[in-house]
Amino acid sequence: MFKIFKSLVLVALCFALSACFKEPLYHSQSYVFGTLVDISIAGESDERASMLANQVMQDFQNLHNRLHAWKATVANQPSELGELNAAFSNGKTPLNISPDLAQMLLEIRTLSEKSEGLFNPGIGQLIGLWGFQRDEFTAVTIDAPQIKALVKANPRMADIVVSNQSVYSNNSALKLDLGGYAKGYALDVAVAYLRQQGVKNALINIGGNVIALGQHGNKPWRVGIQHPRQPTAIATLDLADGWAIGTSGDYQRYFMLNGQRYCHIIDPRTGYPAQHMQSVTVLVPPQAANKSQAGVLSDVVTKPIFIAGATQSSRLAQAFGIQDFMLIDEHAHITVSKQMAQKLHWVNADVKFTTLP
Amino acid sequence: MRMLNLQRYLKRLQCKRISAYFLPGDVMVLAIGVLGVFYLFQLLWSTEHATKVQIRLADKIYATYSLKLQREVHVPGKLGDTVINIANGKARFAKSPCQGQYCVHQAWLSLAGQAAICLPNQVSLELLGENKPYDSLNY
Repeated sequence: MFKIFKSLVLVALCFALSACFKEPLYHSQSYVFGTLVDISIAGESDERASMLANQVMQDFQNLHNRLHAWKATVANQPSELGELNAAFSNGKTPLNISPDLAQMLLEIRTLSEKSEGLFNPGIGQLIGLWGFQRDEFTAVTIDAPQIKALVKANPRMADIVVSNQSVYSNNSALKLDLGGYAKGYALDVAVAYLRQQGVKNALINIGGNVIALGQHGNKPWRVGIQHPRQPTAIATLDLADGWAIGTSGDYQRYFMLNGQRYCHIIDPRTGYPAQHMQSVTVLVPPQAANKSQAGVLSDVVTKPIFIAGATQSSRLAQAFGIQDFMLIDEHAHITVSKQMAQKLHWVNADVKFTTLP
Repeated sequence: MRMLNLQRYLKRLQCKRISAYFLPGDVMVLAIGVLGVFYLFQLLWSTEHATKVQIRLADKIYATYSLKLQREVHVPGKLGDTVINIANGKARFAKSPCQGQYCVHQAWLSLAGQAAICLPNQVSLELLGENKPYDSLNY
């Protein structure tokens, strides 16, 4: 009996001690990619964590400068992407680009095909026409004939021809805007860098695309999902090592015109902003090394689902091997995949939602 | 067989030695109970004491107050005034115009993350502490 009591005391002491040792947590925020970037690093000294976080922020800034769709760099030179877009608009003039950009274009082409063309970063002209290639979003005058013309021109990622590092486009209307890809790509770059630096535990959030490395103390990193219409989280979930989560919503980048909300996600089939969703969230597991990585998928996969709507959501998510997703439609009706329903912790326990079979 | 065992058990119970009152299964149950208490303590008590209370009215934040200062707050809800008391690091629904009075029955809240809601009057209390309920927001 005494033996049992002794072992119980020992177990209790272990519990008590584990509660005392708190891992150091470093946290930094900055504005890159036109949004808030939030980096948490756990289990490293403050000094080292701050050095690593600064490097990641700098890498993000470099990527942002290179891939910017509409701004010149500091030296008033067009960005690398801007240069490429200029070449595309000049007809079939091949341009030499850096190997990683060529790799990105090939990856985006594959992703665009998988999304049945709904994820289409080639419609930069439409995005610009709707006023979403600006720092602040104000209502535009809707130019119906121009929209129609741009849809008819039908720029697709398949129009881009990549051979080695030489690139040209078969369609001069094609203009790249990597707004639905770059943030996810940056997440993967950051995770690869931090892993290589031996960091075990980190959480990186670029404007709502979040990726986890390791965990926070003895628990997984916990992420809150923003309610699209309220200043609070709608639910929280645990983000395990290597998993990423992404949300596309109509509440961060939009303008109102005659009582109607126009958001930044444009349906390439109509040329108009998608109008049947408030937000789409996908949760992405770690991916094999030769495939698109979790960060990229967390950014990309929300877009086709946002555009196509609830009825197509399961099929589109499946195409990318994703089983966990949540949709909030224009009437604030929540639909959750079966797998996602088991992972969500609703902030408001009275929330009504539909679980897909 | 079963009867026999029971008889033996009752016989042992008549003995005066304390150990005779415990069968191995009893010790197991006790051990699991004690471990369970420690686990729950760890799980629930590790959330630090709250420092602020956030009062929500419908879909808006009505006010956020420190829990240190004693205060009585009147919140004009859908049905009428909800009265909230704040004192000594705690907060509670003191009066509510609702039928069920579930919110008042919640009594004092003191830990971060604890919340009480009055559905009919659409008033809620949420206690905020140094520990955030999540590490980052997927906005």
